[in-house]
Amino acid sequence: MKDFLQILLVGIGDGAVYAMLGLGLVVIYRSTGLLNFAQGEMAMFSTFIVWTMWSLGLPMWLAILGGMAGGFCVGALVHQVAVRPVGDPHEKPLAVVIVTIGLFLGVNGAAQLIWGTLDRSMPPLFGRGQVTVFGVAVAWQKIGAVIVLGVMVLLFYLLFQHTKLGLAMRAVASNSESASLVGIPVPRLLMLGWGLAAAVGTVAGVFIAPNLGLGTNLMQLTLIFGFAAITLGGFDSLVGAVVGGFVVGALSSVMPRYITIFEKMPLAPAFILILAVLLFRPEGLFGKKQVTRV
Amino acid sequence: MSNTVTAGASVHRSPGDWALKVAPWVVLFVILAIVPFQFPSFRVEQFCFWMTLAIAACGLNLLTGYNGQISVGHGALFGIGAYTTGILITEFGVPLFGATVASAVVCFAAGILIGLPALRIKGLYLALVTLAVATLFPLLLEQFSAITGGSGGLQITSPQLYRGEMRERPIRLESPVAGLENDQWKYFVFLGITVVIFILSRNLIKSRVGRSLVAVRDNEVAAESSGIPVSQVKIVTFGLSAAIAGIGGSLFALDQGQLYPSSFTIVLSIYILVAVVVGGAASIIGPAIGAVFYGLFSDVIVQQMPDRIQPARAVILGVLLILLMLLAPGGIVGGFRTLQAKWSARRSSTHSSGLAVTGPSVTGPPAAGPEVTA
Amino acid sequence: MSSAGDGVSSAGDGVSSAGHLLEVKTLGAGYGIVEVLFGVDLVVDQGEVVVVLGANGAGKTTTLRAISGMIAATGQVTFLGESVLGRRPDQLVKRGMAHVPQGRGTVTSLTVEENLRIGAFVRSDEQIESDIEQWFEAFPRLGERRDQLAGSMSGGEQQMLAIARALMSRPKLLLLDEPSLGLAPLVTHEVFDRLREISTSTGTAVLLVEQNANLALDFAARAYVLEAGRIVLSGNAADLQGDAAIQKAYLGV
Repeated sequence: MKDFLQILLVGIGDGAVYAMLGLGLVVIYRSTGLLNFAQGEMAMFSTFIVWTMWSLGLPMWLAILGGMAGGFCVGALVHQVAVRPVGDPHEKPLAVVIVTIGLFLGVNGAAQLIWGTLDRSMPPLFGRGQVTVFGVAVAWQKIGAVIVLGVMVLLFYLLFQHTKLGLAMRAVASNSESASLVGIPVPRLLMLGWGLAAAVGTVAGVFIAPNLGLGTNLMQLTLIFGFAAITLGGFDSLVGAVVGGFVVGALSSVMPRYITIFEKMPLAPAFILILAVLLFRPEGLFGKKQVTRV
Repeated sequence: MSNTVTAGASVHRSPGDWALKVAPWVVLFVILAIVPFQFPSFRVEQFCFWMTLAIAACGLNLLTGYNGQISVGHGALFGIGAYTTGILITEFGVPLFGATVASAVVCFAAGILIGLPALRIKGLYLALVTLAVATLFPLLLEQFSAITGGSGGLQITSPQLYRGEMRERPIRLESPVAGLENDQWKYFVFLGITVVIFILSRNLIKSRVGRSLVAVRDNEVAAESSGIPVSQVKIVTFGLSAAIAGIGGSLFALDQGQLYPSSFTIVLSIYILVAVVVGGAASIIGPAIGAVFYGLFSDVIVQQMPDRIQPARAVILGVLLILLMLLAPGGIVGGFRTLQAKWSARRSSTHSSGLAVTGPSVTGPPAAGPEVTA
Repeated sequence: MSSAGDGVSSAGDGVSSAGHLLEVKTLGAGYGIVEVLFGVDLVVDQGEVVVVLGANGAGKTTTLRAISGMIAATGQVTFLGESVLGRRPDQLVKRGMAHVPQGRGTVTSLTVEENLRIGAFVRSDEQIESDIEQWFEAFPRLGERRDQLAGSMSGGEQQMLAIARALMSRPKLLLLDEPSLGLAPLVTHEVFDRLREISTSTGTAVLLVEQNANLALDFAARAYVLEAGRIVLSGNAADLQGDAAIQKAYLGV
């Protein structure tokens, strides 16, 4: 039991990070209807920005803010030059998939060009200490991840529910034509959404990098976990991303421990989850039912 | 696109036109026949790899280009073909090309299996599922290391007569023809298989079955109501596409002689997709052109660059893909057809010049293509 | 609703040399390769209510969409003395042109109140809150449902909300696309009554597009008749109402 609880808590800590990446994916899906396969690479890139600033001697928190700002710019730029011109994702899925895959390659290659192929080490944001609760040891880093996720969710809630900008972003996500007709500059808001998503991804990267080592393939597995989280939660639900993140984190931690066939592939439960949800409940737990277009 | 254009040309078919149509193919085959004698052995080996990629891309094109189902996971099917071949030869002593046939069958079954959920999962979401498959595949290989050799790799061996006794030795494709080096022999065998597969694909697409593929892609509801069994078409297409990709993988295994999970990551899936899109989705020859493009790019051009900036190859490919989607979504073949259509429209500009150009695209790719001519 | 008109400038300032609020010349537009409009000319003056009549497919909706920048167009569109062809809809809202599209175009996943609030996106003055409250007084049914999702309301209520939302931007010109579409006759009459009140009290000019000619000619001061992408007739609403040909073609007499 203690063993189980231990593993579960580790999973929930990981889940918080998947949820962070998921939040970014949801923001992009809601505003542009697009599954951004390059989200993980963008997060990796901005995590390298954090690392660079930190290794130049900046305090970690400042480096993270810098990385988020850098990520924001990358996200906004990517939307302007690559995503917006290609058109509606649901009318031209192939073109959009190819563009995000092009981004995947491009951002990954750019990171290799700038930072090389060696893994860098990054210190855990909340140190290497741990605390014992009911006889179960929990790393501060995991607790920190949950807290940071909580803060991010709160900020998102305030933004979307209590600011004019957030209201406008919701209007754009719901009906961009209507939004444009009340005077909302839709392209600029979409750009903002992409920037925001990339900035959020930075934080996810900062939490993962100390575990995996900061390399250019940092986020390739994590991205699938993030997608599993939002598939379960519903592609357009921020709450869903959080709940989905925790569930995926827990499953991916617990199942490989007890089911030997998953031993070397914690990704497998996440994959089965994606498949099962898309087959039997495509809108996920909290998402809106998709209207199929004929 | 091609249909409207060729239909226009076939109205006044003359011997001259026929010669014009056949001549490029004759030239192409002559070049293909000379090539292995003109290049050093390591190049010929590379050409063999390009052909396996072209075959896989041909399979993906049936699925994505003609049937509109997006797969970002064909690297995994390629890998299943490769490992099936390796295991059958090493563990069960199956003859080399017998293993290729068996791999095609296994991959057909695997494709059907993946195709089942694809009946309900479409577009971006299917891309997501197949992306997950591609990411999962190398991990699967490591999980089942007892039969795949895991990250240590799988050495493909077969019993061979060596110094008077039968021994397990690494497989080799040996030339039975005097005057042909082993690599040249392999080249021609692969070329033969590649050409047959492309011709069979072409015939399939031109047949009634092929038209139903395209009909399902363009409008499922309309296809259904005109009596096309949409579900069957989609599943069988997935199976066929997988089988073809599996043949590519099988040849890859025969070519390499050893297999490692790191060869079958998401990156391989992306390169197969790159070959399809760059060459031109929904054109028969497009994937072959795309594979050659990719081969030239990564085996020739990139090798000329200084080591330090070699990662730039990913950047260049990425930027190229995006530019392609924005400027010429029909790929190389699509761009060529547009030019051709413009040219012939100008030539016959006296009456209804725009007809061939603006007609609804019949064979254009589902999402990316039609804008080329619009 | 007088205060909603506070922001409306008096006639005369910012108006083009000819004195028109909106001046459209040789407007052409279409979808892809299908041309729909072939040179539409029309004007709307400050505070004036103008209707464009026409059968289904005549190009009424396309005319409005071309004017408000929702689709690409050719020709000339002058609004408040400035050429605005090629501007995006959101840029035109800033200049004082609000468009209520066909099918109502509320943001269905926002609440009623949020819809009104988003309607004031281009404003940053202090009166937004009081404007919202005044709309709720004017339309008690919207007030009762202020925290309900717009998508959950009836067609008539959504139409009211769409109009109110457009007016929240305090426009000088309101483009209205078939407000009667899909509404019961009684509800339609109510919508038009409200519209008349608002227009007279705030001095907002209205360019209305309608199939229901009887209703529209009662409401408007002037009218244009659109046929196959061209203006074929124009004049005072009263004159057109008396015109035998119009009676026959559009009024079903």
